Amino acid sequence: MKALLSRDSLLKWAPVLVLLVLMLTFPIFEMLNDLARGKEHLYLLDSRFLSVRNFARIAIAAAPALMVALGVTFIIIMGSIDLSMEGTVSVSAVSFAYAFIALGGTLASWAWLAMPLALVVGAAIGMLNGLVHVKLKIPSFMASLAMGFVGTGFALLLTGGERVRVDDPIFRSLLTVRWFNFPIMIYVAGAFLLLMWFVQTRTTLGRNFYAVGGGEELAAASGLNVSRVRILGFTLAGVCYAMGGLLAVGKIGIAETVTGANFMFVSITAVVVGGTALWGGIGGVFNTLIGVLIVFVINNGMVVIGLPSYIQSAVLGALVILAVVLSTDRKAISFVK
Amino acid sequence: MSFIKKFVERETINRRQFLLASMAGVGTLAASGLVPSPALAAGGPTVAWSYRNRTNPYWNAIVSGGARFVESLGMSGDDLVHLLNEGSSEKSLADVKALLSKTGGNLALGIDTNDAPNARPVVEAVQAAGGHVVTIWNKTEDLHPWDFGDNYVAHISWSDTKPAETVANILIDAMGGSGGIVGLGGIPSNNPAIERRQGLDNAMAANGNTELLDYQAADWDTQKAAEIMSSYLTRFGDEIKGVFCANDTMAFGAIEALRAEGLAGQVPVVGYDGTAQAAEFIKSGEMQGTVYTDPPWAGGIACSLAYHAAIGTFKPSDEPKGHREFFGPALVVSKSDVDQFVAQHIDGSPDVDWQDFWGPTTPAA
Repeated sequence: MKALLSRDSLLKWAPVLVLLVLMLTFPIFEMLNDLARGKEHLYLLDSRFLSVRNFARIAIAAAPALMVALGVTFIIIMGSIDLSMEGTVSVSAVSFAYAFIALGGTLASWAWLAMPLALVVGAAIGMLNGLVHVKLKIPSFMASLAMGFVGTGFALLLTGGERVRVDDPIFRSLLTVRWFNFPIMIYVAGAFLLLMWFVQTRTTLGRNFYAVGGGEELAAASGLNVSRVRILGFTLAGVCYAMGGLLAVGKIGIAETVTGANFMFVSITAVVVGGTALWGGIGGVFNTLIGVLIVFVINNGMVVIGLPSYIQSAVLGALVILAVVLSTDRKAISFVK
Repeated sequence: MSFIKKFVERETINRRQFLLASMAGVGTLAASGLVPSPALAAGGPTVAWSYRNRTNPYWNAIVSGGARFVESLGMSGDDLVHLLNEGSSEKSLADVKALLSKTGGNLALGIDTNDAPNARPVVEAVQAAGGHVVTIWNKTEDLHPWDFGDNYVAHISWSDTKPAETVANILIDAMGGSGGIVGLGGIPSNNPAIERRQGLDNAMAANGNTELLDYQAADWDTQKAAEIMSSYLTRFGDEIKGVFCANDTMAFGAIEALRAEGLAGQVPVVGYDGTAQAAEFIKSGEMQGTVYTDPPWAGGIACSLAYHAAIGTFKPSDEPKGHREFFGPALVVSKSDVDQFVAQHIDGSPDVDWQDFWGPTTPAA
């Protein structure tokens, strides 16, 4: 019990606590709303927010963003930053949609090849991103930001500004078919999360991310090929973004130049809120899962309790700062850049 | 139709602007500076469109009309000069000035000036150089074509309130005349967002049996609309009998959120803009209505007005004010007329008499 309540473990579990507090707070407002409308409402028991159906809705909204956030988690653990996700997601999504339609337009044909193709496209953009960053010695912030622009421009070139519709019922079963109340895409996202957890904890590459983030000079002096780790990290992130693009298309059935829009803010916010430190070396994929859930629980909860839209962004911003404050160990760092 | 402003606003707050703007700068240079224009060689005015960017189907449709007008002159559609402002009013003005000096003022320009205050310097620059300009969407209330002689030929915009009211009535009919409605709005400060909301309010005020459960801004965005719609489902559940969306792209998001629950096609949805995909959804019964504002017509007629004013086919200052400031057409599309709409406007492009300048319009002045 003492160990459980120690400062360290409190910090470690702070994001989970934030998530739990949020999940218990929204039903209070929901109850007050209902009582004001003259309906009976027993706290928690009658909550529509705390229902399996609503959890499925939050999960659907969060799944593509989780994929993207997983990718950027590794980059942030390395102490770098990757801002190319919006372009990469768009290019992967659009490439997928075009290849899918060209190869038959249904999963029951060779069109399934469009899915690995999209992942390869994502990996290629990520690797290019890493090469530009490492070989040309451009800070990751600038290199990836520029690569994101290039990606968006390239997606625009591919689509000419049009939307590409993917309406194959088999592909759309990602959204429309449910096992145990949750659509298939949630299980796909879960499997991918486990795969990334495996990479993080069970592979040399995963451990090297922490080595680079914890002390790059030390890692290099110990004989680690830091450049290679960085390039592989960005490549892996590219695969994650492509996965996010695939789920985004699965979710709304449309690929377009703006498919990747908004992913940058959501994914980086989620990673940081989940307790992965921007200065590197700390955090992991489960932190990111919690972070993504916090962001989407807030988004969903604010609509469910009927908060006017003009207040929502302000509340989201304030809650994000609060979540980061709670999950940061300020004693362990002397200054923040 | 206000696809426009949506993008306008959203992309202004978007850093990707930067790169695209610089890319477009290179493109504009190539389009306006390096490639000799046959129109110039022939002595007629250069025809140009200045607009936001090409990521949006709306602007593509606008300039496709411009290209068709240029083709009607016996030139190639590629002879239409594209000036992309990428959300920058400064770039919009600078590009126009550059093209004016290059053409010596022999210019027929259609333009959305990116924001309302920028319309005045653009129009003044065109007048000073002796060119001819038609603006669409953006201009301030105190700026009028008739104050600029013949150079500021006309201003085209759309009034969305009435068509939105009509499409809202289609929604209410599909709901059986009563029940709860949820709304997904555009960026709150956008004029079309305000007018379309007004249209819904008018329709609901005329029908006492409906209740607006909630109306939130989804910023014209498909994914955001899907998320808000699914949260509405949590909050209101079966109380939702209809969904009013201020444009089609948000309607697509709402439909996908309904589809995830197996409700697509069971809860009526209406949108705005008359996109091809909306027409498909209307055919399949997943949407009940939308409003088409004929962007290719607007894009072509803007060029045509400026061109014919420039070559002297008509004298703008002799025209009544209603021919100088007018509203473009709005065609409400529902299940009963969707097939005809698709045949005319989506699959085919209707033959347009580009000298019938004011046929489908209503005076705004």
